[in-house]
Amino acid sequence: MTTATLVLVLVVVVALAFDFTNGFHDTGNAMATSIATGALRPKVAVGLSAVLNLVGAFLSVEVALTVTNAVINIQDSKGAPKADLMADGGYALLVIILAGLVGGIVWNVLTWLLGLPSSSSHALFGGLIGSAIAALGLSGVKWTGDGTKLDGVIGKVILPAFASPVIAGVVAAVGTWLIFRVVGHIAKEFADQGFRWGQIGSASLVSLAHGTNDAQKTMGVITLALIAAGQWTDTTAVPLWVKFTCAVAIAAGTYVGGWRVIRTLGKGLIEISPPQGMAAEGASAAVILSSSHLGFALSTTQVATGSILGAGVGKPGATVRWGIAGRMVIAWLITLPAAGLVGAVMWYLGHVLGGALGPIVVVLILIALTGYMWMRSRRQPITAANVNDEWEAMPETKRLERV
Amino acid sequence: MNSLALAADGAWKVLVASLVLGAGLPFVFALGVRARASAAGARADGEHAERRPVGNVLFVLCLLVVLFGVALGITIVVASGFGKAVSFEHIYPTIVSK
Repeated sequence: MTTATLVLVLVVVVALAFDFTNGFHDTGNAMATSIATGALRPKVAVGLSAVLNLVGAFLSVEVALTVTNAVINIQDSKGAPKADLMADGGYALLVIILAGLVGGIVWNVLTWLLGLPSSSSHALFGGLIGSAIAALGLSGVKWTGDGTKLDGVIGKVILPAFASPVIAGVVAAVGTWLIFRVVGHIAKEFADQGFRWGQIGSASLVSLAHGTNDAQKTMGVITLALIAAGQWTDTTAVPLWVKFTCAVAIAAGTYVGGWRVIRTLGKGLIEISPPQGMAAEGASAAVILSSSHLGFALSTTQVATGSILGAGVGKPGATVRWGIAGRMVIAWLITLPAAGLVGAVMWYLGHVLGGALGPIVVVLILIALTGYMWMRSRRQPITAANVNDEWEAMPETKRLERV
Repeated sequence: MNSLALAADGAWKVLVASLVLGAGLPFVFALGVRARASAAGARADGEHAERRPVGNVLFVLCLLVVLFGVALGITIVVASGFGKAVSFEHIYPTIVSK
């Protein structure tokens, strides 16, 4: 096996690992409220979400080869890798992607350990930006678009990050307020039962949209790596095995369920009732679908969080734990630089060691870091069995790991 | 146009569309739940109110509106996966190439 082939294999495996963390980190976006209100039992909820993610992944026929083009300059406008990165079987480009993916995974697993919902796409972009800056300098990054459409780090990441939670929060707050105006006078059990069905429907829609959008990103990254290594030439199609493995990876991740994140979203922010759950998921589904339809793509995670907060604000007399919301906002703000830092360090390491050794060491460090964080999570495990325990009943130190 | 103006423009459109679909449809759903409760005579204070069968008709109507909205949502997801978009230029939705 040549060095380039080995690095390609590592990139594909690590990309699938990222796809897995993407699924498992984001299960809560769709299912946290349905689990918290008892509309669905925890295992049923993650199972349903996994199936819909799988279906969604296969629905995406379009090629997301240009997904990395939004933030870094390693490809031409059609998505083909730049010629100067193609030497030695695309080695230079493969190392940039590998380091970026490692940055994204490390940040995803760390925020999962802390029970904080943070955007998987922003983590991926952050990692890639870091490794691109390390490899190519500041010119390796596309900071802003050409003025005709939203593009670059500012247009695709930073501005949407500010807009998503606010828009989703307003929509969910209005929806919640309207719902309680309408059903305030009827029997609670009667209303709750109806809204549980509404919740399941709207949460399913969020899951489907997630599979369609997010699995596509990993498919794009793997296809880019294959093109760089000369194993694939078509910039308008994704190899079937790539599609299949990505769909399975995101669905498997979703099914494993990031219970720590689900718990924070479902129980930590507000005490959620079925009408609020329906308002929150309805708002999330509407914002995610209309924003991708209108070309102003928003982060699913930030939309879901904003919706749940909005559902708390919209119900008269409900309490919102703003302290936890504040921790999330801090996590969002440092996602890009933190994942970027890991991506940059990994690239330097891979570059200094060089050859086959560099990428192998980078992957070993990834395994060590994620393994350590997984061991830490076993100290206070959160599973399907205790995900719905009363939030206040847990001692403060056990609710969320301290940073 | 700079990024900020483009983002404000996009955010504004998303907000309006989402308010109609994301708050409007749950509102219609709530109306349906209330109509069904009225048909069953279920009241918040536990007393049994008079049953009003017309509520069931309203309930079905509300449900149809919501289901149409959900079908539209699924169509948008599926269409975008196939490189198409749903256009509203004829008022009623049609599927067009992106």
